[in-house]
Amino acid sequence: MASIDIQSIRKSFGAFPVLHGVDLTIQDGEFIVLVGPSGCGKSTLLRMIAGLERISGGDLLIGGQRMNDVPPAQRGIAMVFQSYALYPHMTVRQNMEFALQIARMPKAEIDKAVENAARILQLTPYLDRLPKALSGGQRQRVAIGRAIVRDPKVFLFDEPLSNLDAALRVATRIEIAQLKEAMPDRTMIYVTHDQVEAMTLASRIVVLARKGIAQVGTPLELYERPVDEFVAQFIGSPAMNLLAGEIIATGAETVVRLDGGGTARSAVPTQTSDMGRKVNIGVRPEDLLAVSGDGLFSGEVQIVEALGEVTQLYVARPGGGAHIIAKLPGIHPDLRHKTVTFGADPAKVHLFADGRSLLYR
Amino acid sequence: MTLAAHSHAAKPLRKRIADASEPYLYSAPALILIIGVMLVPLVLGISYAFRDIQLLNPFSGGFIGLDHFRALGQDQAFFRALRNTLWWTGASVFLQFIFGLILALLLDKPFAGRGLVQALVFLPWAVPSFLAGLNWAWLFNPVIGPLPHWLHALGLLDAPNNILSDPQLAMWGPIAANVWWGIPFFAITLLAALQAIPRDLYEAASIDGAGPVQRFLSITLPFLAPTIAITILLRTVWISNFADLIVVMTNGGPADRTQIVASYIFTQAFKRLDFGYASAIALVLLVLLLVYSLLIVLLRQTMLNKG
Ligand SMILES: Nc1ncnc2c1ncn2[C@@H]1O[C@H](COP(=O)(O)OP(=O)(O)O)[C@@H](O)[C@H]1O
Ligand SMILES: [Mg+2]
Repeated sequence: MASIDIQSIRKSFGAFPVLHGVDLTIQDGEFIVLVGPSGCGKSTLLRMIAGLERISGGDLLIGGQRMNDVPPAQRGIAMVFQSYALYPHMTVRQNMEFALQIARMPKAEIDKAVENAARILQLTPYLDRLPKALSGGQRQRVAIGRAIVRDPKVFLFDEPLSNLDAALRVATRIEIAQLKEAMPDRTMIYVTHDQVEAMTLASRIVVLARKGIAQVGTPLELYERPVDEFVAQFIGSPAMNLLAGEIIATGAETVVRLDGGGTARSAVPTQTSDMGRKVNIGVRPEDLLAVSGDGLFSGEVQIVEALGEVTQLYVARPGGGAHIIAKLPGIHPDLRHKTVTFGADPAKVHLFADGRSLLYR
Repeated sequence: MTLAAHSHAAKPLRKRIADASEPYLYSAPALILIIGVMLVPLVLGISYAFRDIQLLNPFSGGFIGLDHFRALGQDQAFFRALRNTLWWTGASVFLQFIFGLILALLLDKPFAGRGLVQALVFLPWAVPSFLAGLNWAWLFNPVIGPLPHWLHALGLLDAPNNILSDPQLAMWGPIAANVWWGIPFFAITLLAALQAIPRDLYEAASIDGAGPVQRFLSITLPFLAPTIAITILLRTVWISNFADLIVVMTNGGPADRTQIVASYIFTQAFKRLDFGYASAIALVLLVLLLVYSLLIVLLRQTMLNKG
């Protein structure tokens, strides 16, 4: 059993609080990805689960057992560090054997475990090399191999791919996904700041904001139904556009008059008491469409970024304020300095009041 | 190619000579300085070893070939000094290293007041060696120093006597002073090496289940090995030449029991005023130390190649 229960865990460094009470239950075999802005405590939370950082308050249960004061080696976890943390004076084989030798596993079993891991990770030709004679991607695979041979119940990854170049990152990401598939009953917790890694690997994503969890959910839940403006803007790239306005019609469909002119329809239901409420509507760049006739707003396209498969437009609204970003499929070379009207499917228009989504209440 | 050959032939001879000697002219001042400062005294010193040079004898100075070395081969005092040198150097370096390593490991852990303790620990290094020798001589003197009484109370000494005048124990006096004086050197260099070890290696090892001893043997020691090798080499050469403490504390006595080669050279040169013989001994010591250094360097090379 490798379910993990995090019960109002707190952490402060001296007088400096980093996490104020985090609650999270992770089921057996889940792939949890922790995302959040830099310095929000992702690594700290992971390191508390690993036992590398003292827990200031609250309880950590792994497989139902309280682990707060259990040394790292006895928690049934393995960790892959961003810096790989390979022992530089040991060969690949010795790196992978180290934990097993300490656990006094019989030699034959050690060899079997190491060779098995090496085969999965295509490291067999390199077993007798030192880490310094390996490429970055190979080193990262050795670090993963070192975790695999211990056959832990929980794998912890702290930004394991961020030192690799883009192509290698994609390849290793896919390897990690396959690894998880081969070990469906192992729990993985993975810290990253890479959106694509989070969306593709996770069974559930945990968004950490300042000092606590902002939202937990499947990747598409977070994308489609963000709980607040922070999550809405954090998931998805470029970030969701927010436009201020006022509710002028309520019901199964809500109508908002936008401050800079124009009206928006949203499929988020509201009550009559919401009439006149100040809200922000949220529309993702990829949900904006160029329309003829009435739309959400019109504006002058100031910057055009042609990425090939899509074109990103930075649009200035007549009322001023930040650029609105729209992402149109295909190539649009002639839109620069044109005034374009944008619309959106009401089902794709989010509503936030005081930062919180009106979907949840 | 043809162009170069052509212009080469066209240049006048003087210009070509000037061009060829240009790099040597640029480096000449530095080379002359180095040769003047380093090689001349060395060659002069070596030449003394083959000449009969006694300061008080105006008729001395002639070339005598290998006579000094023949005399040295018969000189029991020299061989005793050689054995004492081994003893003095081995014990001093070993103890300085062990205590320096322990100190460095302690100072590597964060604790309140660490900055102050670090500064204090490095204090002995700043004490002039003659002052250190005098201090320790007094500490071992039962009339004014506490050490003999403490050693007696601990049962290490039969009576609170001065160990510096005990032929069996005298060498421990300068060794103790030397260890006290030299620990900071090892502590500083080893601490610097310790702090360069990435912390996440220890974290990975603790997840792998390694205890403190395994962490030390599998991570700390391999990282320190090159520093250990080079500091021990340097200190060995340095300490075997280091006679200050012995001259101050025991002057080689009692009964030559603390005479090392370096202090024996000092005695021959400045007490007997036989510079020729002293130079011959110095030459032998130089050759021994060169051989030792060469062995260590070779050892380090093979270790690095293997690593
Ligand atoms: N050992 C430490 N001592 C003091 N502050 C720390 C320590 N480790 C992390 N912090 C602070 O805790 C916060 C969270 O850090 P971290 O968990 O590393 O963030 P990230 O989400 O980027 O991984 C940061 O503000 C960082 O400065
Ligand atoms: Mg981090």
